[in-house]
Amino acid sequence: MDPKLTEVSQHFERFKAALVRHDYDSCNNLLSQLKVLLTGFRSLPPLFEDTPNAVHELTVARDIYEHAVLLSVKVEDQDAFERDFFQLKPYYTDARNRLPPSAQEHPILGLNLLRLLVQNRIAEFHTELELLSTSALENPCIKHAVELEQSFMEGAYNRVLSARQTVPHETFGYFMDLLAKTVRDEIAGCSEKAYDYLSISDARQMLLFSSDQELLDYVKEEHPEWEITNDVVYFQKAKESAPCKEIPSLQLINQTLSYARELERIV
Amino acid sequence: MATLVSSAGGLLAMLNETHPLLKLHALSNLNNLVDNFWPEISTSVPVIESLYEDEEFDQHQRQLAALLVSKVFYYLGELNDSLSYALGAGSLFDVSEDSDYVHTLLAKAIDEYASLKSKAAESNTEGTNVDPRLEAIVERMLNKCITDGKYQQAMGIAIECRRLDKLEEAITKSDNVQGTLSYCINISHSFVSLREYRHEVLRLLVKVYQKLPSPDYLSICQCLMFLDEPEGVASILEKLLRSENKDDTLLAFQIAFDLIENEHQAFLLNVRDRLSNPKPEPAAAQPSSNESAQSESSPAPEDAQMSEGSSAPNLNVQQADPKELVYAERYTKIKGILSGETSIHLTLQFLYSHNKSDLLILKTIKQSVEMRNSVCHSATIYANAIMHAGTTVDTFLRENLDWLSRATNWAKFSATAGLGVIHRGHLQQGRSLMAPYLPQGASGGGGSPYSEGGALYALGLIHANHGEGIKQFLRDSLRSTNVEVIQHGACLGLGLATLGTADEEIYDDIKSVLYTDSAVAGEAAGISMGLLMVGTASEKASEMLAYAHETQHEKIIRGLALGIALTVYGREEEADTLIEQMTRDQDPIIRYGGMYALALAYRGTANNKAIRQLLHFAVSDVSDDVRRTAVLALGFVLYLEPEQTPRIVSLLSESYNPHVRYGAALAVGISCAGTGLSEAISLLEPLTSDVVDFVRQGALIAMAMVMVQISEASDSRVGAFRRQLEKIILDKHEDTMSKMGAILASGILDAGGRNVTIRLLSKTKHDKITAVVGLAVFSQFWYWYPLIYFISLSFSPTAFIGLNNDLKVPKFDFLSHAKPSLFEYPKPTTVPAATSAVKLPTAVLSTSAKAKARAKKEAEQKNIAEKSSAAESSSTGSNPAKGKASAEKDGDSMQVDNPPEKKAEPEPSFEILTNPARVVPAQEKFIKFLEESRYVPVKLAPSGFVLLKDLYPSEPEVLSLTDTPSSTASPASGSATGQQGSGSAMAVDEEPQPPQPFEYTS
Repeated sequence: MDPKLTEVSQHFERFKAALVRHDYDSCNNLLSQLKVLLTGFRSLPPLFEDTPNAVHELTVARDIYEHAVLLSVKVEDQDAFERDFFQLKPYYTDARNRLPPSAQEHPILGLNLLRLLVQNRIAEFHTELELLSTSALENPCIKHAVELEQSFMEGAYNRVLSARQTVPHETFGYFMDLLAKTVRDEIAGCSEKAYDYLSISDARQMLLFSSDQELLDYVKEEHPEWEITNDVVYFQKAKESAPCKEIPSLQLINQTLSYARELERIV
Repeated sequence: MATLVSSAGGLLAMLNETHPLLKLHALSNLNNLVDNFWPEISTSVPVIESLYEDEEFDQHQRQLAALLVSKVFYYLGELNDSLSYALGAGSLFDVSEDSDYVHTLLAKAIDEYASLKSKAAESNTEGTNVDPRLEAIVERMLNKCITDGKYQQAMGIAIECRRLDKLEEAITKSDNVQGTLSYCINISHSFVSLREYRHEVLRLLVKVYQKLPSPDYLSICQCLMFLDEPEGVASILEKLLRSENKDDTLLAFQIAFDLIENEHQAFLLNVRDRLSNPKPEPAAAQPSSNESAQSESSPAPEDAQMSEGSSAPNLNVQQADPKELVYAERYTKIKGILSGETSIHLTLQFLYSHNKSDLLILKTIKQSVEMRNSVCHSATIYANAIMHAGTTVDTFLRENLDWLSRATNWAKFSATAGLGVIHRGHLQQGRSLMAPYLPQGASGGGGSPYSEGGALYALGLIHANHGEGIKQFLRDSLRSTNVEVIQHGACLGLGLATLGTADEEIYDDIKSVLYTDSAVAGEAAGISMGLLMVGTASEKASEMLAYAHETQHEKIIRGLALGIALTVYGREEEADTLIEQMTRDQDPIIRYGGMYALALAYRGTANNKAIRQLLHFAVSDVSDDVRRTAVLALGFVLYLEPEQTPRIVSLLSESYNPHVRYGAALAVGISCAGTGLSEAISLLEPLTSDVVDFVRQGALIAMAMVMVQISEASDSRVGAFRRQLEKIILDKHEDTMSKMGAILASGILDAGGRNVTIRLLSKTKHDKITAVVGLAVFSQFWYWYPLIYFISLSFSPTAFIGLNNDLKVPKFDFLSHAKPSLFEYPKPTTVPAATSAVKLPTAVLSTSAKAKARAKKEAEQKNIAEKSSAAESSSTGSNPAKGKASAEKDGDSMQVDNPPEKKAEPEPSFEILTNPARVVPAQEKFIKFLEESRYVPVKLAPSGFVLLKDLYPSEPEVLSLTDTPSSTASPASGSATGQQGSGSAMAVDEEPQPPQPFEYTS
């Protein structure tokens, strides 16, 4: 076997072991070494050269990146998740016809969808969705994300929150927690537009907080522009949008006149 | 099968990894993929930029990032950003890569660099602000061009970027140094618009030339001439003249002739004066010993004209050092050449012997012009003068003395001056020719002041630009008179004779005339001052401007305005202050002069700034005169690239303002003169039937200028135009203005016995100062008809004149590899057989159908000889239909159904020309020299004066163009000998005979 590949496999084994031990620091270290090692393989994206071990190498690389993605969920690092996912993606899309499908594919795709939902990047969410085949859409992991999005759009926020209980995959938990926050932000945004003011208790109910204190903390942190006086939350209505720009009529008239004059001269 | 990635997303994500190796991996992969994935990458540009700016990375990685960003910006169309990052990429930016990206950026970089360099040069600060990285890229490009053997590109870039060091390197490294140098001279003339810089380039070229093992003296001298360095030319000439080798002498003569062609009088005189005199004692032996053989043919170098210079050696006869002797002989010859006498003399002989002017045309004009119409009457006289310019043939005047005598006052002035045009270049006998008309001193008083003034003007025309011999006489005449008409003539004459010599004393004389504040004399004085000071940018201009503000006479202001314009001739940027001052003046006449100043200062440069300014005035000035002149001035600015002019003025030629249309017509006429350019003709054609009479006049004249020497065979519209002219002249109801235009146009069309063209550029692309000035003053005829004669200054003979060692014209054949009909003389008109020309015009339009039928019948019946002239005869009768019929016949002569016709034979595809021969400009590219010929030209020039090397010097030479009996045998001079026969009884001189003076009967 190719010595390089062996080295990668050994590193990978150690990485997996560390992952099991929940030793995330050494995991990160090993992972970054692995990635550097992977750059040495010419069969990997974006080159896709047809080396003799191509299939094996691709499989290993995919495996590594899948683990990387899962690791990032575990350490709750969204940036790393995004980074690793994008690097993993070519293995799912471009290398689809060379590799046997991976068991992890759908959960990871679902995770990504969820991440987009959490980050409120709805456009990208739908872009990703379009890229999936109909059979993939049937997969519970993905279906879950899709349903969440639908509820989210409908404004059925309680359904979104209750979906926390029905996660199809253990890794989804992290994002579901985050989703609650996204939902709250969404509600806050709506209330701001809809009401001039709300009583504290109504606001608490509306924003799905269990205590007034939580609400106050939330307001302090996220919406310092809201005013709370006498148990009433006043939303600073968005400033009246500036009156639309005046039409520079005088300038236009001058211009037109001068064109006419020039034309007269030329002709 | 390689799978292609569908997205650069993965790699972009990798850029955010912490490990530097991963970033490098991503960068290098992205760099390969950027051509396809730049839209995706463009969103991550900030990330990559930050990589480039990250000091912690190693150099290579940062450069890679810069290259990547540069490519993305290139695809986004942000070339400026792209370039700045490409500079950051340093050596990774590979100038030899063959991709759009590299090409575009290189072009951008070079542009940037060139503009920075030229900006730095303009502000006179050393190029401190030029980015060294930019410089490095340009240098890499230059080096690459040089190593790849693309010298022309390298030179172009080097010139553009003001890198004379690189230019020199490119030239010296090229495998064909001579060719490269001449290419370089060409581009420096056509593309380097700044005078200063052009001089720098030329200086460098001269330097390179001199370093060569076998310097090309012809080109060096041309360069030196542009640089205005007579010392250099003089020393080269002297070296060649002193050489043992006869060929070197020929070369020296050739150089002298080439310089002459540029008509830079002051420069030539300078060169001449700097040639060291041969030691007096030895030199003297030569003229006496060679006298019998030499003095006749070497055209009067020892003539009175240059008395001080060369009469001294004649005095002492002694034995001498043979070397000095030979030098002295050659010295005399070259002096003759440099003073222009040799060439003028030969030209005169050529024009005289080859004169093919068609008196019948004049006769038709004369008969159709109403007697009482003085405008058309003088126009006919003008036309005659132009038609015979330089030929010394005044038969027409002689035959029509009665008719001529109708000219009175100013018409008489111009009639007399016309003689000057006819005898142009007749240096030796000019004065005796004009003697009967000249002022007879204080006692005479018999002649009319008009003819006297005209005679002085005529003397100026005869001696234009070569007035050393005559200027004293003209000065005396000017001083001794206070009649304003004579002063007018004398001023013009003096200005012409002393063109560009900047003689202070003469200037003062003219100034005193100006200060008499007489309108007629003052106008001429103004122009004359300008002529005297042409191209000197002298201080005098402000003096003239001041007086122009002072005087009340419009004529004087106009004369001065033009004069001021002439002083800045060719000074380009130097003239800007003065131009600014004039164009902002309150007085429209001064602004009008400002337009001329723009035209002349930037003559033939196609300078964008000047064009823009002129176009601005053409549409925005309130005075019609200024607008007209502004458009007209475009013609002067653009004559280097005549193809451009029709395009630039095409809109203006459709202007509602007739003055602008007139200007557009003349602009095309001036810049496309003698080219026969198809677009020019198409633009002028509609204008010749404009609704406004003076526009028609201008268009007809301009058309004639464009069509000079173009034969009907090469452009059928020439024939149509000739017929149109005739129709206008014969039409009784035509306006006087356009009739006059038509008469002048027929004169110009057949100018100089059909042997001259209007040329503003010499063959080396140097502007011919006399020609340009001539046309500029000519365009003033709008105000003052006698100025029409100035057009004769722009005529240059289209001849190949080969000369041997003795500056004689040997018999020498060469080949014109084209159908003779393409370049032949127009067929002479003949009197229509059936009806007289005078009666015909009334019947023209009604009988076309009948005439057509008759024409067909006639054409079949005619015998061979008549057949050839059928086309022209019909056109004389101004019968368009008939003309067309026979023209068609001529056109496809193959289809003529009469087998015995001579015409049915296919035309030969070449013709043999005999020295000296008429070679029209369009014909030049077909000229070939025969290999087995006895003579070999020193320079492979298809026209002009060419020195011939004699391969068999021992054999006797057969000469043509002389009066010796041997020349009668030469077929080319057949017509010449016929005419000469009568004259030869009178004198032995080889000059054509001075005609008998004739008197006005009035």
